[in-house]
Amino acid sequence: MRVTRPARYLPGVLGVACATALGVATGISLADDVMLYLFAIMLAALGGRGPGIAAAALAVVAYDFFFIDPRYALSVDDLRNVMTFAVMFAVGTAMGSLVAALRRRERRTAALLAFTSQAASATTTAELDAALTAHVRELTGGRPRDELDRDLRSLIDAIERQAGVANARIRLAADARDAALRAQAEELRSSLLSTVSHDLRTPLAAITGMATALRESEGLTAEQVEALDTVVDEARRLGEILSNLLAITRVESGAALRREWVPVEELVGTALGRTETALAGHDVAIELERDVGVVVDPVLTELLLLNLLENAGKHTPAQTPVEIRARRDDGGVAIEVSDRGPGLPPGPEPQVFEKFFRGPDARVAGAGLGLAVCRGIALAQGGRIEAVRRDGGGATFRVWLPGGDPPAVEAEA
Amino acid sequence: MTEPTELVLVVEDELAMRRFLHAALGTRGFRVVEAGTLREAEVAASETPPAAVLLDLGLPDGDGLRFLAKLRAWSTAPVIVLSARGREEDKVTALDAGADDYLTKPFGASELLARIRVALRHARARLAPEDPLVVIGPIRIDRARHEVTVDGELVHLTPIEFKLLAHLAGHAGKVVTHRQLLMDVWGPRSAQQTHYLRVHMAALRRKIERDPARPRWLATEAGVGYRLRDD
Repeated sequence: MRVTRPARYLPGVLGVACATALGVATGISLADDVMLYLFAIMLAALGGRGPGIAAAALAVVAYDFFFIDPRYALSVDDLRNVMTFAVMFAVGTAMGSLVAALRRRERRTAALLAFTSQAASATTTAELDAALTAHVRELTGGRPRDELDRDLRSLIDAIERQAGVANARIRLAADARDAALRAQAEELRSSLLSTVSHDLRTPLAAITGMATALRESEGLTAEQVEALDTVVDEARRLGEILSNLLAITRVESGAALRREWVPVEELVGTALGRTETALAGHDVAIELERDVGVVVDPVLTELLLLNLLENAGKHTPAQTPVEIRARRDDGGVAIEVSDRGPGLPPGPEPQVFEKFFRGPDARVAGAGLGLAVCRGIALAQGGRIEAVRRDGGGATFRVWLPGGDPPAVEAEA
Repeated sequence: MTEPTELVLVVEDELAMRRFLHAALGTRGFRVVEAGTLREAEVAASETPPAAVLLDLGLPDGDGLRFLAKLRAWSTAPVIVLSARGREEDKVTALDAGADDYLTKPFGASELLARIRVALRHARARLAPEDPLVVIGPIRIDRARHEVTVDGELVHLTPIEFKLLAHLAGHAGKVVTHRQLLMDVWGPRSAQQTHYLRVHMAALRRKIERDPARPRWLATEAGVGYRLRDD
């Protein structure tokens, strides 16, 4: 891509002409004349190697022609003069090469600098790629890489390294932007949820409150008591559906969850405490491996167990047993809730975990959210859930959650 | 069962909720003052100091916690937070800011009355000299002699387990946050170490409860703290 510009040769031609003219006109000594020629060659060599060599050749010819005997003829008979020619050539070549190398380096530094500044201002990877392609094409002239000289190849390597750095910076910036956007969306969603939750819970609280207050009053007939109990029960159910809806929205949004080590016993205890009504009439057996705990969000995980227990209570006949088991398993903890009810509906098991899935027994009231919430909570905490048909009838719901041994605590004195 | 003169300040912006609270409390012999905003609550509280406060957190002119902070500057009257947002963080914040207990909406009249009675009993007990002996169901805690018996049988507790149980017994019937327990038993250095609490509570349950997986007395309030039941 080196362009031969005639103008670069002009100083050499002019310099040699001047030196010749000066030498011929003043008749100075041969040695002084050589010095003049060398000066002209050096001047010319500032234009690069080509002009340097050209000026040296011209100077040799002019010197020979005008100053060396026999004058006005191109012949050499003294070895000393040959030495002079050689020195002139050497000076022209060396100076020219030196200047050319400097120029080249300068040009490449400039190219690298130009690319770096463009890469620094690029805000997208597409922009950066375009700049990279343009610069490389300009430097190589479209030649394939193995046809390039070593310097140019190393320059292109340097440019590509710069592009890599810029690319990493752009990606980091994009990640930061994404994170900020996600945080914003999360904040909006959570404030929306808390508003909806507040707006729905408040009237529900008034209904429950009024009905329970009325229920306490004296002189009610059996029908009235029953009616009020229904109001209270249904309001409670509505509250549970609301909690499940909020929970599923929360886990599906991928919001960061609180994770703590919690003994399974504690989670089971709380969930059982809140399902006394649902499990009334069932014989609940509990079998927990000692000191087993899970690393989870305690509130959500309690809701998971609560839903599994409610599910068992709702879908199985009274007097049938419900079993709760927990053990270390596969690097985590497996918690099972088993029943002796009608078992799973026909079809693939995972469908029971689908949102709004309802079993074939439509008499059982429900929104079809409970098991979907269970799966959502299990997955959001790095766990999983499955439902299996039990030998001898009934179903087992098995949740795996991360966890295991209790964390180390300071020994007591 | 309760003194008919005790005054309960109800701070709640929803009219229907206020009606319910008024009805539930009125029939049980409480006097009720209602406030729908923070400003009204402040005026009402300063005019006649209430014996107990029911406080909704989401008020039209601000967060109920602001009223709690102002009230706590001059009054130790028990405050029960009525939480509609259902977020455990909000409950913990309110409890650590000086609230005595909370009720999550929706709740029933009997639940409400039970909480108020516990809160009032603790408020009265604060004035009386502390009895070293606490009896809750089959559990007998002798704080002077550091002795605990369950159904008359001596139970060996470690010093931490004893401190935990004694603290909960001192607030029997009320929720105690993780933070409050950690601060009291381990000190401020450990206020975030809830796993200490969980490990020692599990051990305590094994010694106190007949079936630790179905605790009768040491109840967990998920995401908030623990409550020693006294009913």
